[in-house]
Amino acid sequence: MTAYIVRRLFATLPVMAVVALFVFFLLRFAPGDPAAIIAGDDATAESIAAVRVKLGLDRPVVEQFGVWLWDLMRGDMGVSIFSNLPVTRLIAQRVEPTLALSLSTLLVAVALAIPIGVVAAWKARKLVDRVVMGFAVLGFAMPVFVLAYVLIYFFAVQWQLLPVQGYRPIGEGFWPFVECLILPSVALGVTYMALIARITRASMLEVLQQDYIRTANAKGLATDRVLLLHALKNAAVPIVTVIGIGIALLISGVVITETVFNIPGLGRLTVDAVLKRDYPIVQGLILVFAAAKVLVNLIIDISYAFLDPRIRY
Amino acid sequence: MAASATSLADDLAPPSRRFSLLTAIRRNPTIAFGGILLLLLVFMAVFAPLIATHDPLRITPVNRLRPPSERWWFGTDQFGRDVFSRTVYGARVSLIVGLSVAAFSSLLGLALGLACGYFRRVDAVVMRVMDGLMAIPSILLAIALITLTRPGLGIVIVAIVIPEVPRIVRVVRAVVLSIRAQPYIESAIAGGTRNLKLLLRHVLPNTLAPLIVQSTYVCASAMLIEAGLSFLGAGVPPEVPSWGNIIAQGRTFFQIAPWTILIPGAFLAVTVLAVNLLGDGLRDRLDPRLARRL
Amino acid sequence: MTALLEVRDLHTQFNTLDGVVRAVDGVSFDLSRGETLGIVGESGCGKSVTALSILRLIPAETGRIASGSIRFDGRELTGLDEEAMKRLRGHHISMIFQEPMTSLNPVLTVGTQIAENVVRHLGVPWKAGRERAYEMLGLVRIADARRRLDEYPHQLSGGMRQRVMIAMALSCDPQVLIADEPTTALDVTIQAQILDLMLELKEKTGTAIVLITHDLGVVAETTERVVVMYAGRKVEEAPVEALFERPLHPYTVGLMRAIPRLDVEADIAGKRPRLQEIPGLVPILTRPIIGCAFAARCPLATGRCRTEAPPFVDAGGGHTVACWEVAP
Repeated sequence: MTAYIVRRLFATLPVMAVVALFVFFLLRFAPGDPAAIIAGDDATAESIAAVRVKLGLDRPVVEQFGVWLWDLMRGDMGVSIFSNLPVTRLIAQRVEPTLALSLSTLLVAVALAIPIGVVAAWKARKLVDRVVMGFAVLGFAMPVFVLAYVLIYFFAVQWQLLPVQGYRPIGEGFWPFVECLILPSVALGVTYMALIARITRASMLEVLQQDYIRTANAKGLATDRVLLLHALKNAAVPIVTVIGIGIALLISGVVITETVFNIPGLGRLTVDAVLKRDYPIVQGLILVFAAAKVLVNLIIDISYAFLDPRIRY
Repeated sequence: MAASATSLADDLAPPSRRFSLLTAIRRNPTIAFGGILLLLLVFMAVFAPLIATHDPLRITPVNRLRPPSERWWFGTDQFGRDVFSRTVYGARVSLIVGLSVAAFSSLLGLALGLACGYFRRVDAVVMRVMDGLMAIPSILLAIALITLTRPGLGIVIVAIVIPEVPRIVRVVRAVVLSIRAQPYIESAIAGGTRNLKLLLRHVLPNTLAPLIVQSTYVCASAMLIEAGLSFLGAGVPPEVPSWGNIIAQGRTFFQIAPWTILIPGAFLAVTVLAVNLLGDGLRDRLDPRLARRL
Repeated sequence: MTALLEVRDLHTQFNTLDGVVRAVDGVSFDLSRGETLGIVGESGCGKSVTALSILRLIPAETGRIASGSIRFDGRELTGLDEEAMKRLRGHHISMIFQEPMTSLNPVLTVGTQIAENVVRHLGVPWKAGRERAYEMLGLVRIADARRRLDEYPHQLSGGMRQRVMIAMALSCDPQVLIADEPTTALDVTIQAQILDLMLELKEKTGTAIVLITHDLGVVAETTERVVVMYAGRKVEEAPVEALFERPLHPYTVGLMRAIPRLDVEADIAGKRPRLQEIPGLVPILTRPIIGCAFAARCPLATGRCRTEAPPFVDAGGGHTVACWEVAP
């Protein structure tokens, strides 16, 4: 078991290495002169040169990479071109709202979607199933920002039940914190829920056809035990896999959701950085998000061992 | 006894050859629904100049923020531009981006996938790179690429192709590997059949069905990413009416003029839905094993 | 004394795209306490469906018991509500299946799968359930039972998995054990072991067994009475010795003749006899069968056989057969 965990841990290294290389070489191999583009249309030769120095492009490539990597190891992700503040500090400041939003969305999505999928599979082809799957198809096609605005229009503008935008840290009180997160979590979570519900249903349907379910029924076991223990545990691996894949959806969506709802998190930071072409920040964010995604996938890989004993032994 | 003999003969007779469109539609409702919807949208995009009621770019400040009416079917935005005409033209950007990304990523993905499935050393390197690319959320990847270059439709397309390619490579590679494992391929190789012939005759045809299905999903995904990018201001230039742009520009006055966001948003959602349905329907039809799973 | 299990004129049907399939078309038989009954017939004759019907395990979306009566210990099962059936299953009537590989849940331990049956039906705490599971593993002669309790099905061999299935089925001392082709998927040597085990357990616990199989050899070794089925109907029923000594129904006769025999002398003489097959095909079950089901393939068939279904006639000594020609 520990051997399995260690192996999975080591498997993440090449992936992070590729991400790091990619991010590094992106700047150096982008078409045109990135320094000029970043400096802007009406920049002088000096300002372009200054930007080039800031980005470290004036030194030989190998040296650049070494320095960059070394800095990275020490937690130094460079400095913002425009504000001169360390990227690491900027990111640390904005982490909390993004983390709050992501976690609440993840929790809500998983907690709702899996039961929905189980019920849909149990009552396959009946009305409940068709309705649920219909919503799933719609939910998956709905772009996050469109849904966000629809929700804002009804819940915030027309009925005035929830705030239109903004974020309150948990320090300011539990209800204001939750209140501000409800609409963004729903908007962000719907696509994710649709995906999870669909795969839960599909996986459960396949499992319910298996012989061991027939055996469980022949033993006269209670329905909920058959569904939840005998069936769901076997159906879990694809479901958990999709939860991991969906994290990518979540992260992409976070950027947009924070923009719509004006939440001062990493997503907003990304957008601001892109508009100002503050590449060091964009670079740092890519690394952070990629690392988060890799970490989540690692956790999921490890969970496989707990769910399916055949993987362990 | 005689009765059963007749039915056996009936079963063995070849099926009727006449193709009936109505039967085809009845048998494949998802493909039909998605396909028809998509065709309508393509029609709208292609004939935009004929369908639009006003010039989508014309600014008439005196007509700003009018609600939908007989003159401006979907109302006007804060610059007095007709939302209907802009929405109709917006279909062009979404469809062009969606279809080109699907096409390019399919070609690139097919080539890479075949190479990976066939040559172990290529596989080792390329799959690592693909894993790395997949670790980066697609919007961020696209954003990073766009940050470093001059804005434009071409750049947006390239920026979206790159994160979508790994998905296709994976699918193609999986098909190639599973076919290579078949005993009849082993015997063909042992018999001296050349690689290229094997590739073309046996491997390639089997990749087409899953490839087509995946590329429809890539198309839907690309449309969503493009709209997202434009919404964030990192997509096509703001003058070009893209649904994402229109929605972005509608943000400031959303509370008093919700139609500027909700209507293009609905169009986007419907388009993506249509493409997704088409993909689902194709998958059910072309790969029934997978259909039973999903 | 009334029989433990009485099946009367059972009709089980499935709805398929090609029409209604009459999988069980009027089957009746009794099972007495402690008896071992064999149900034999070729694939598709309806024997498994009969078994599933008794426990009402036919999925509602695909099929249903159209008519007939199933009485267990005096209680009518066909109209019973699902909750009551669940209390019966695994407790009073247990069933084991053909594929031990796939019939056990791969993500739950052997101990859990046995214990949960005991806990569910006998209401005892989990620890007691596990103890019982340990006992049962010993009963089915699985070595190192303590360790095996916490192992997973994939860590066991096929024969051992079937033993676990038997342990699970007998864990609550059921009165009836239905075994649907329990040894078909196993090696011949393991087959013999499992059958011996079942008989031994039967002696110990007094459980009545319904053994479903297509293998006449298994029937000869293990059962006391045999029901022969064809195309969803019962065609003959007899004590096992009587059936083998004097098969009456032409189908049964055909089955016996189709068994390959080792005739060493004929082999040496270069005169190996041909395998006798039964000509023709099994009838399509979507059409109602008029007359005798076997008439189309029967060497003795007359016009009457094709129009009127023969009744069951007692041929003496508990031997009944449904054939116009053999037992007028």
